[in-house]
Order: sequence, then structure tokens, then C-alpha cells
Amino acid sequence: MSRLSEFLAPKTVVRAHCDVPCGIYDPAGAVTAARTVARMVELIGQIEPGSTALADRNKFVRCVTVKEQHAELVKHEVQIIWSDYFKPEHLAANPDLHTKVWNLLKLAGKNKQSIDAEAAAQLEASVKEFAEIFWSTKK
Amino acid sequence: MRPALEPGDWLLLDPTVQAWPRRGAIVVVREPASELLVVKRVAARPGDMVRWLDRPTRLGVDQAWLLGDDDARSIDSRTYGPVEQHRLVGRAWFRHGPIHRIGRL
Repeated sequence: MSRLSEFLAPKTVVRAHCDVPCGIYDPAGAVTAARTVARMVELIGQIEPGSTALADRNKFVRCVTVKEQHAELVKHEVQIIWSDYFKPEHLAANPDLHTKVWNLLKLAGKNKQSIDAEAAAQLEASVKEFAEIFWSTKK
Repeated sequence: MRPALEPGDWLLLDPTVQAWPRRGAIVVVREPASELLVVKRVAARPGDMVRWLDRPTRLGVDQAWLLGDDDARSIDSRTYGPVEQHRLVGRAWFRHGPIHRIGRL
């Protein structure tokens, strides 16, 4: 019987979707990452300026590292949804999507380069807007 | 392709099809760009009108418009446009497994 089923079993797999079989996309990851970037900027600002204490230097390096990683994560998460999820009909409803994503990605880069509370707040707002556009296509 | 097809279904293909089969037929094609083998449904055939990039478009003599059944999540002609006939691998016509789902498609 097992021989028979082996003989009958297909040798080739075909997919119904291209890469993510379940098609699960969620901008929540990008929103959290952007929030983390803003929070790291806040924490860095709380470190005593000029302090050479080991604890402060350690905290500074850790916060900068996390800020760097999460700004990169914002770019990754947004790019996946942008390239894989959005379809021409979504673009028709949101004609400025490409410009918005482009600016958002640049803003993420700016947050890596600098410790800038205003840039962090802008990044958070941009990601939130991106998430709203995403959810508007699900209605 | 739910509910017509479920992950793990065994499909028999007719690889001898010479042209795009009738509307509603399930086909396996080599997906544009990714070159993966994917299963989709023929939604429109050569000569039919479809909406592509927000304007009415007439399909060419060897083009079909393919859609997945899972409207919200499928990646199909809405993403990659009309599909040329040289990408057609075969028409899925029978499911020979699993045992409780055997039958014609």
C-alpha cells in the first residue's frame, strides 16, 4: 500500500501563492520598531551629558545599537508590505503611496544617522500613516 | 485557492493543452518574474477585456488573465498582469488525493 501511494503521490509541488502561503501581512511590526527608535532617542537624552561612568557609556552604546537595529527593521517591514502586498488597485486609491514610502525610508535612514527627537517623531507618524493606508485596503 | 483546493491536494495535470482552457478552469503556470509553479484560475481568455493598470485592456491572442480564488490574498494577474501562453504548464482536471477529497475539478 505504501508503494502504491508512493507511486501515486505527486512529484512536483505547485503553489497557490508566491512566497508567503498564508499571505499574512501586518504593519504592526513596523509601528513597534518606529516606537522603539523614538524611545531610544528619549533614553539617550536622559544620560548625563559628558558622563564617563561605565554604566552610562554602556547604556549609551546599547541604546544607539537598538536604535540602529530598529530603524533598519522599520525599513525592512515597510519594504516587504510595499513590494509584496500592495497591488495596482491599492495604488489607484493611494496615488501618493510610493512618495510616502520613499520619504518614510529616508526618514528611517536619518534616524540612524542622528539622535533627533523630531526625526523620530516624524518617523513614528509616517509609519502610523503607512499602517492606516494598509488597513484602509482591507476594508 | 481555497476552498476549491487545499494545501496537500494531489492534482493530475493535462499537459497537452494547446491553448488557454475555458474560463473557470484551474491551470498550473510558471509565474512571471518568480518562475515558480503556481496554480490559478482562468478568469479571462484571449480577446477578452480586463482592467489592468486602471484602464480597460484587451488580452492578446496568447494571453490570459489568471486569478486566485482567495481574492484578498492571492498574488495573481492583478499583480503581474496578463500571462502569456508559453507559461502554461497544464490544466488541473482531477484530484487523486487525499482519499476523501478525490474527484473531478
